[in-house]
Amino acid sequence: MQNSLIKQEKKLGYIFSFPIVFLVFIIIGLPSIYTFIISFTNKRIGYSYHFVGVDNYLRIFKDPTYWLVLRNTFIYTVSCIVLKLVLGFAFAMLLNEKFKGRGFVRVSMLVPWAIPGMVAAHTWRWMYNDQYGIINVILKNIGFIDSPILWLSDRNIALISVIIVNIWRGIPFFLFSILGGLQTIDTQLYDAAKVDGANVVKRFLNVTVPSIAPVLTITTLLSTIWTFNDFDNIWLITGGGPLNASSVISTYTYSTAFISNQMGRALAVSISIIPILVILLIIANKMIGSNESDR
Amino acid sequence: MIKSNKKNQNIKVILIYIISIIGVLWSLFPIYWMIKSSFTPDAEMYQLNPKLVPSHFTLDHYKDLFTETIFMKNFVNSIYVSVFSTLIALFFSITGSYAMTRLRYKGRLFIKNSIFFSYLLPASVLFIPMYIMISRVGLGNNKNALLIVYQTFIIPYCCYMLMSYFTAIPKAMEEAAFVDGCNHIQALVKIILPIALPSIAVVATFAFTLSWNEYLYALVLTTSPSQQTVTIGISNFKYSDTFIWGLIMSSSVIASLPAVILYMLAQKFLKTGLAAGSVKQ
Repeated sequence: MQNSLIKQEKKLGYIFSFPIVFLVFIIIGLPSIYTFIISFTNKRIGYSYHFVGVDNYLRIFKDPTYWLVLRNTFIYTVSCIVLKLVLGFAFAMLLNEKFKGRGFVRVSMLVPWAIPGMVAAHTWRWMYNDQYGIINVILKNIGFIDSPILWLSDRNIALISVIIVNIWRGIPFFLFSILGGLQTIDTQLYDAAKVDGANVVKRFLNVTVPSIAPVLTITTLLSTIWTFNDFDNIWLITGGGPLNASSVISTYTYSTAFISNQMGRALAVSISIIPILVILLIIANKMIGSNESDR
Repeated sequence: MIKSNKKNQNIKVILIYIISIIGVLWSLFPIYWMIKSSFTPDAEMYQLNPKLVPSHFTLDHYKDLFTETIFMKNFVNSIYVSVFSTLIALFFSITGSYAMTRLRYKGRLFIKNSIFFSYLLPASVLFIPMYIMISRVGLGNNKNALLIVYQTFIIPYCCYMLMSYFTAIPKAMEEAAFVDGCNHIQALVKIILPIALPSIAVVATFAFTLSWNEYLYALVLTTSPSQQTVTIGISNFKYSDTFIWGLIMSSSVIASLPAVILYMLAQKFLKTGLAAGSVKQ
């Protein structure tokens, strides 16, 4: 009886895991290997292709556009993450206080995350419009600017424009993750710190931050991976333009593959960032793994 | 002493409300602007000095959207793809998560880790090979291809969440069932599923929105409008470089509704954070 259960357990384990294994190793795994192989060819859609060795890699590394795009990706990721973290933290502290109307503020602040990303992108693109866009009108009416800001077509501003939208959409993720962490902090810790004479700043640094450190790390890591690979936001707002000024790895890969029709080269761009991604993934795996064994 | 304390308290309350107002305006203004634009006549929309509150109101954009475009078709496609990809993902994730949290067999840990890696593997790395593979198997420009491709992120997400929920269910309940002669499948169906049902509902909600909001795969895998989902349908409202903002804004409002409604329903479960499963408390 007991024996047959154990036997069944093993068999069922394999049956139930099979679809997952198939997904991970065939549906995800095969294309990944394929990516790697094609990156050494001169594949274009509709043409036959042959191996060109490391030619694609040499070309992209010699191409100043590639380095510009890489630089943009880092600026985009770092500034988005820092600002989302700081603002998300600030609003989480706010919503952790008890006050009238908190429920309304809470729901309102969730909305940017709830609407689809491409809807957010289109809406902001419309607000950024240099002729009819509301943002320039407001800035002009309060006397902030004289001539309209070219949010989407100024090479020095386009990247900032897409960063703002990513922050707008991403704050709720930080806010609600951090808020969840704040609510688990034992209030006795604060009382004890008060008795010890710790002021607000000290209480924040010695009680609040350490208590939610695991939540902060995981939220930041997850968001870093998503932001680093963000496509919709940039593609739909600036298309990476003007002249690649707001182009990041994901949009550059897309336009190289589907607009310039250089698949092999695009895949080489994709592969070139895998080391960064793998490092992030390994850290994330370690952080979340160790976090779980604590319990 | 007491007086100054009270004064401090007042300053704090005022600060709280100032920051709250900033937060609410910042979060809701773009939403307001989207809705407002969708009801504003073209003549007023393309004025050099748009007003914050429209002086005219029109349903023309919505009328055009439903009668002159195939947006309804895109909407139905989105519903089809999201509902079925969620159902497929739930089935395999429930059985898979049960196996990985409750059954002992070789390679379990390895599979668990591989799920985590695929959860974080971005579409921006996979979309080109997916495009090539899908064309090879003859599913190019077919919305059903999305049902398969979306599993690459929905199943890892669902498994990740469900595994943490299943782990939290005490084992004693199943053990009692085994003594009564239940096998593992019966234990899953009769014990685990009823307990986990609320969590499964939340996971299903998020899985649905993941699929509803997806843009990149839909962009490369579907080319004819009759196969496209709303995310692509909205971007189609332009003539070369000219955007038809009335249609874009009204279709954006419609496309936001399902996800927003589901989020609001699930909102009370979000207490432990948006990443609930990954950042479990």
